[in-house]
Amino acid sequence: MTRAVVLGGGFAGALAGAVLARHADDVIVIEDDHYPSGPRARRGLPQSHHSHVLVAGGARALQELLPGTLEALFARGAHHRRLPGDALILGAAGWFRRLDTGAYLISCSRGLLDQVVRQRALGAVSTWAGTRALGLVGDARRVTGVSVRREGAAPETIEADLVVDATGRRSKAPRWLAELGGAEIEELTVSSGLAYSTRVYQAPAELAGEIPAIMLHPRPARGRPGQGATLFPIEDGRWIVTLTGTRGGEPPADERGFADFARSLRDPIVADLMAAATPLGGIRPYRDTSNRRRFFERARLPAGFVAIGDAVVAVNPVHSHGMSVAALSTLRLDRELTRRGLDPAAAPELRAAMAAEAESSWRMALAQDAGPAGRREATAFEREILARRTRALLSSPELAAEFFRAQTLLPARAAKDGPAVVRALTGEPDPLLTTREAVMQYPALHAWWDALTRVRGGREPSLR
Amino acid sequence: MSLQISDSVIWQETAGGISLYHAETGDFHTLNETGSRIWELVASDGEREPIVAKLSHEFAGDNLAMSVRVLKDVQEFLGSMIERGLIEEHPA
Repeated sequence: MTRAVVLGGGFAGALAGAVLARHADDVIVIEDDHYPSGPRARRGLPQSHHSHVLVAGGARALQELLPGTLEALFARGAHHRRLPGDALILGAAGWFRRLDTGAYLISCSRGLLDQVVRQRALGAVSTWAGTRALGLVGDARRVTGVSVRREGAAPETIEADLVVDATGRRSKAPRWLAELGGAEIEELTVSSGLAYSTRVYQAPAELAGEIPAIMLHPRPARGRPGQGATLFPIEDGRWIVTLTGTRGGEPPADERGFADFARSLRDPIVADLMAAATPLGGIRPYRDTSNRRRFFERARLPAGFVAIGDAVVAVNPVHSHGMSVAALSTLRLDRELTRRGLDPAAAPELRAAMAAEAESSWRMALAQDAGPAGRREATAFEREILARRTRALLSSPELAAEFFRAQTLLPARAAKDGPAVVRALTGEPDPLLTTREAVMQYPALHAWWDALTRVRGGREPSLR
Repeated sequence: MSLQISDSVIWQETAGGISLYHAETGDFHTLNETGSRIWELVASDGEREPIVAKLSHEFAGDNLAMSVRVLKDVQEFLGSMIERGLIEEHPA
C-alpha cells in the first residue's frame, strides 16, 4: 500500500491531494487551520481578504485538474474578464483599447475559490484539519513520514512514500530537512518594495455585474514611488479594490487616507467608483510582498520529499500568479507521477519539475521588481524602441497578445507576426484614447460615468 | 542567392554601429564596424557574391590570403545573421 502526505490544505495543498489520490492508495492532507463552513476567508490565511484572481494559464490548469471547477465558480458568481477585452486599463502610455488576445482572468473572493476547490479536490483524501505538522521523519537519505499533533493529542508519526510540502511562503521545510541531515537550501529574497491596502465594496446595482476589471498602472517616473489601483468584480455584486504603492508612497489604511490616495492617482475613476459603492468592512493593509524562491532542486536532499506552490516560488502578489503557478505545478506533478509512479527515489526529478514550472513567473516578477541594477544603461535606440512598444501595446493586437499572454502564464502564440509588430512600432501610432473614449468602450460604465458628469454640471469626473 | 533583411527587423545606423531590434524575439543587437558594413551592403546590394567582392576589394586589395580571410569572415557573419532570423536568404 502506498501513502502520500500533503502538508498544508490551502489551494496548492488541496490540488496536490486530488492529484496524489490518483497515484497513491492513501492520501492524507494535514491542515493546521479549521476550514470555514462557507465561502469565507480563513483565519490562518491573512491574505485571503485581499484580491485573488486566477490568470488564464492557471484557470486552464485548474479546469484540467478538476473538470467543471470553472463552471462551478461561475455558477457561484465568479467573473470572467478578457485582457484587455473586458478590462479598462490605464497603462504606462495611456488607456488600452479593447483587444482580444486570448488572455483573461477569473475573479472571485479567495474564500469562494478555496471552498469550491476543496469540495471538488478533497473527496478522495483524508483531511486532518486542526493538525499541526511538527517536522519530517527519516534520515539524510529518505523522508519516511511526518510528525504531527492533532488538537489535544500527543505527537504521532504518519509514514509516507512521498511528503509534499504545500505550506506556502512560511514553509519550515528547509529547517526540517536540515534536521534530518539534508543540505542547506539556497534561498533568494528580492524585495518588491510594494505595499497594498484592500477594501471590499457592495457595488451599485446598475454596475454590479457589468463593470470591466479596472487597472490603473503607476505613472512611469524614475526615483518616485509608483502608485496604482485595481478594481475587480467578485461574487454577490461586490468589488474588491486594491491600492498599491512602492516605498515612500504606500497606500494608507485609514478611511480618509485611502480615499485621498485613490483620488490622487493618474485617473480618479477608481475613487469615483469607490464613492458610489458601499464599503463592506474595513481597509486591510498587506506588506508581505517580497519575491522569495527556495532552490530545493539544487540541494542534495532526502528522497521522498517535494515542495510545491508558494513554498518553492512566491512572487509579489501584485502579479496574481500564486494560485495559477500552484495549479500549473500540480498539473505537472500529475504528469510526472504518471510517468514515474509514486517512487520516493524520483523526488529529485519532481523537485526539478516544480522549479521549472515556476520559472517563468519568477523571471517575470524579477524583471519588474529587481530594477535595473547590474544591467547596462539602455542605448538611445533601445529606449526609442521600448518607448514605441509601450505606446503601440495599447492598440496593437500582436503586441498586446504577447504581453497579456505572458502575464497570464499562457504559452506564446506559435507563429509570431514579426512584420505586423514592425509596422506597429514604425508606423504612426493610433491616437491615444481620452478617458471619455476609454470609458465609452464599456456601455454600462459609460452610462454611469455620463450620469456622474451631468451631476457635476458637465465636468467630466475623470478628465484631469 | 539573394539576401534580404528580415521584415521582422528594425534597424538604425548609430554612432556605435548598426543597432538592430528583432520584433519576434524582442532581442537587441549592435554590430561592430565590419558587421555594420556587411549589413549596409546586404541592404543595398542584396547578393552574396557582390558583397564579398566589394569587401574583399576594400579590406584585402590584391592580397590573396587576406581575400580568403575576408570571404570566411563574411560567410560566418551572414550564417550567424541568417541563423538568428535577422537576414533571410532566398533563391535569386
